[in-house]
Amino acid sequence: MGAEVPAQPDQWRLKPAYSVRTLVLLLAASVLLAFSAHRTEIDRMLVLSGEAVAAAAGHRETSQVLKGLRRIATDLFPLQFSETREIARLENFDRDHLPPFSYLASQETRESRLNSDTMAMEETTMAREVLVQPVGYLGHAILLMLQTIEIAFWGTVLAVLLAVPLAILGARNFTPHPAIYHGSRTVCSFLRAMPELISALFLVLAFGFGPIAGVLALGLHTAGVLGKFFADDVENADRGPQDALRSTGANRLKVLGYAVFPQVLPSYLAYIQYILERNIRTATVIGIVGAGGIGQELKGRFEMFNFSHVSTILLVIFITVMTLEYLTGRLRGRLL
Amino acid sequence: MVRFEAVSKHFPDCTQALKSVSLEVPKGEFCVVLGPSGAGKSTLLRLLNGLVAPSEGEFYFAGERVTRRNLRSVQKRVAMIHQSFNLVQRLPVISNVLSGMLPAISTPRALLGVFPAELQRKACRLIDRVGLGEEHVYRRAGDLSGGQQQRVGIARAFIGDPLVVLADEPVASLDPRISRSILSLLKEASREQDATVLCSLHQVDLTREFADRVIGMHAGRVVFDGGVEELTDEVLSVIYDGTRTKTEVRPDIPYAACALPFAAYQRAS
Repeated sequence: MGAEVPAQPDQWRLKPAYSVRTLVLLLAASVLLAFSAHRTEIDRMLVLSGEAVAAAAGHRETSQVLKGLRRIATDLFPLQFSETREIARLENFDRDHLPPFSYLASQETRESRLNSDTMAMEETTMAREVLVQPVGYLGHAILLMLQTIEIAFWGTVLAVLLAVPLAILGARNFTPHPAIYHGSRTVCSFLRAMPELISALFLVLAFGFGPIAGVLALGLHTAGVLGKFFADDVENADRGPQDALRSTGANRLKVLGYAVFPQVLPSYLAYIQYILERNIRTATVIGIVGAGGIGQELKGRFEMFNFSHVSTILLVIFITVMTLEYLTGRLRGRLL
Repeated sequence: MVRFEAVSKHFPDCTQALKSVSLEVPKGEFCVVLGPSGAGKSTLLRLLNGLVAPSEGEFYFAGERVTRRNLRSVQKRVAMIHQSFNLVQRLPVISNVLSGMLPAISTPRALLGVFPAELQRKACRLIDRVGLGEEHVYRRAGDLSGGQQQRVGIARAFIGDPLVVLADEPVASLDPRISRSILSLLKEASREQDATVLCSLHQVDLTREFADRVIGMHAGRVVFDGGVEELTDEVLSVIYDGTRTKTEVRPDIPYAACALPFAAYQRAS
């Protein structure tokens, strides 16, 4: 009892690299994955993409995917930058004060019409005077993009304003009561759990089409995200300075303002900047459910099959998002 | 000035940081609390400014018993200097010094960072007193060296005209030469302001040099209380090893209590 002779190193028990249990688990996992892959049509995806590659390389006649892609490419180009409007339909049109970068032109339209007397088809030419704005539609798209950025900005402002009190109440070391701590954390989780696209859908019903729904949807969702990040940072802030100020008799708000806030400020700014960037990307999408900005225009044009307009909008979005990433990357370098 | 009567403190994890500590520190004294890590020095100091609440016993500040109710007013007259300086690294020196006066400022003014001009002047005089110059006033505290940061810590402690200054291992993270200059600054400043100092240290040589009086602690108990001249090698071995030599230091404390196993206070630290 207790006096066992220790085994020699040659007799020590070594573990096999793969146990039977591991192999069984791997097998079960691959069966499950295969089942799920079939349900999500991964197999079909591979077949279709393979066909497309083969067709592109000339080994096949046609491919469904390639045909679709080709149609999109031909529909999207050329990009539509100009805007042409009939003068007769413009309200308050002043011939002497044309909008900037625009000129008047006359357009001939041929119309086939049935002559009721001769009962024969006649071709008539009608001249209409139109106002041509060579970059009119591009300007329109850029203005809508600007509106989208503004929606994202105010959504972020709303998020920060909601997140700061949520964070103070939801930080374990500053909450007035454990119940309030749990309440605040629950509110944050709830806000985070609600996707903007869904909440925007309902907010459009409540506030009507337009930017209000967008600002609220973005603000509420990201308030949940920021509230959690902010609260976690308050909880993890160095306790030393807080103790130092608390021991002088300073109240909670003063400790928060002097010992916690200066510490967390850099990471708060980084979070806010990330949220702003993300909100601009999301704001383009939630426009699709009617929450204002460029997304709303995108959806309208898409449904009217105006693919040249759609491609202009996409170009504006891509350039904006890429510029944004470049700018925020530089800003981040300067902040830290 | 400060009086403890049978104060005990146990933490929720069952470590007993203080065991029935009774002592009195008269006004204006520079009193060093000496002992190994985990002996309860920090807990003793942190009781006085309300960072730790006593489990048993009571203590008195300037003759009045400290309770939950008058804790705030006591805190205003007790200042603390910390081992790791505990400055707000990102704030300038002057804001760190002024933050010692936060209780005297209304909350909205404090949050906006508006301090009365007179108070800012006082902060400048203190920054000058602790040996920093005008060029340091708006430097970030985090950019200063350790010794300079502790000077800011001392300025912050003295801005509220404290009656008692608690210094919790104020020089533990500084080199011996700077430690000496920081301690002499602390001693001079407290003498000028007629403030009582309770300073915990673990360096015997610095204790001998600066203390008027020494309180030796081991495993949560006071095992020595006397003048610096009584600090003999036997006393030191009681403080540091908990072993009892032939000299009876405090006959009222049973031997077993002094010689608790190390694990008991290692958990506390």
